[in-house]
Amino acid sequence: MTSTEIKCWGECMDVAVQIAHKAGKVVQEAVKQEKRVSSKSTPTDLVTEADQQVEDLIISTLREKFPSHRFIGEESSAAGEKCILTDEPTWIIDPIDGTCNFVHSFPMVAVSIGFAVKKELEFGVIYHCFDGTLYTARRGHGAFCNGTPIQVSKEKDISKALILTEIGAKRDPATLEIFSGNMLKLLSAPAHGVRIIGSSTLALCHIATGAAEAYYQYGLHCWDIAAAAVIIREAGGCVIDTSGEPWDGCFR
Amino acid sequence: MPDLWQEAMDHAVVLARKSGEIVREALQNEMKVMCKSSSVDLVTKTDQKVEQLIIASVKDKFPTHSFIGEESVAAGQPCILSDNPTWIVDPVDGTTNFVHGYPFIAISIGFAADKQLEFGVVYSCLEDKMYTARKGKGAFCNGQPLQVSDQTDINQSIIATEFGSNRDPEVVDKIFSSMRKVLCLPIHGMRGAGTAATNMCLVAAGSAEAYYEIGIHCWDIAAGAVIVSEAGGVLMDVGGGPLDMMSRRVVAANNKTIAQRLIKEIEAYPATRDDAPIDSKE
Repeated sequence: MTSTEIKCWGECMDVAVQIAHKAGKVVQEAVKQEKRVSSKSTPTDLVTEADQQVEDLIISTLREKFPSHRFIGEESSAAGEKCILTDEPTWIIDPIDGTCNFVHSFPMVAVSIGFAVKKELEFGVIYHCFDGTLYTARRGHGAFCNGTPIQVSKEKDISKALILTEIGAKRDPATLEIFSGNMLKLLSAPAHGVRIIGSSTLALCHIATGAAEAYYQYGLHCWDIAAAAVIIREAGGCVIDTSGEPWDGCFR
Repeated sequence: MPDLWQEAMDHAVVLARKSGEIVREALQNEMKVMCKSSSVDLVTKTDQKVEQLIIASVKDKFPTHSFIGEESVAAGQPCILSDNPTWIVDPVDGTTNFVHGYPFIAISIGFAADKQLEFGVVYSCLEDKMYTARKGKGAFCNGQPLQVSDQTDINQSIIATEFGSNRDPEVVDKIFSSMRKVLCLPIHGMRGAGTAATNMCLVAAGSAEAYYEIGIHCWDIAAGAVIVSEAGGVLMDVGGGPLDMMSRRVVAANNKTIAQRLIKEIEAYPATRDDAPIDSKE
């Protein structure tokens, strides 16, 4: 990276933090209002007007500041925009991670903003909308929670591990059979426990802070993990595919 | 007419807050983790220290009161609820979470007199959320009133449950079978904070429609039961009858409609009652 680029991505990250705060405040207000809820791929894959509004807010703000940059956003993607990562500076956005929680006022909802250049994730910003916690990381510069450095757990023994996961939106018996089979194997390790909070980005942040040892999921999208992947790696953790192979950002 | 138990409740809040400070401090230090009934049923010195603090303080202020505490029972004290004013305490609900620094850790203080639950205090100490409820006077979190969700359609619900610490394959099989059946209804989602008290407070706050579990103990649910009830919710047994605090089973829901629909999917399995004679316990 040139020094200009280094400076530029730093500036981008500062803007990401500002917009995450702003978007987070919009979510905090919206959670108190009545919500118009519809569904996407399944009856349990929820979306609200707030998801779309917050994504528009983030993208329009960023586009104004960085007109040459590209955007991958959950709601834009749902509306038909292509989800292709090029070499161009690209923002990867989940405006409300934990929409189901948002609908229920279940207090685990986050704004997630990742950023990649030349297909390499450069920084991640995640804002916990209910308690205002900010998780940030820039490649090569460490990971932080509200400005305090964070580190993954040092535990290596699966029988002393706390594992996090999410069920996802599929409810067909075959998928749930596999889902519960996987969880059963982990509980039989015997892992200390399995937790589900309904927000993959916040669950991933718990890995980065060392509050849990691992997270796994099928059915994630790139916008769910882009920011968190940087945060986990910079906290000393690793991100891999469930097959054990290197993780491919958009491979679910 | 003065409230007979208000002073006790005020003291419970003070104790819960003080205990929360001890827990937060303990998280900064290395901790020794021990096991109780299995390798995943954890206990630490902090659990014991907090319970001792609460017992000593209660004995001092209310010398005639009785006490049921998780660690005292683990040490061999009987777990019998009499008519006497009784404190029912889980000093650290979510010990596994505590061991990991996972952010849901609660001090749970319930209180019964004449075998009726009178008040409940649950302090989620990392979130700094003090949940309180006095019978007949509503439920609150940090002074803000709590109200359960008004959802009546189970397909629009979030249900909380836990996998517990029993790894007996037959038990685990039932737990997962129930989970799949509930998920397939379908419901919006399933959640598990890792502490019964917190799960119940989430129901009271309207964030989840219901919580169910088999394998919990009376000290896990005594306080939460008052909080859910005072927030407008219902407590039931997984078989559909009234809640039996010593039965090791609980359903806490926003209303009877959701509770009764949920109960149809729960596969029960035996669990030794909390008030069973000591030599019959696992």
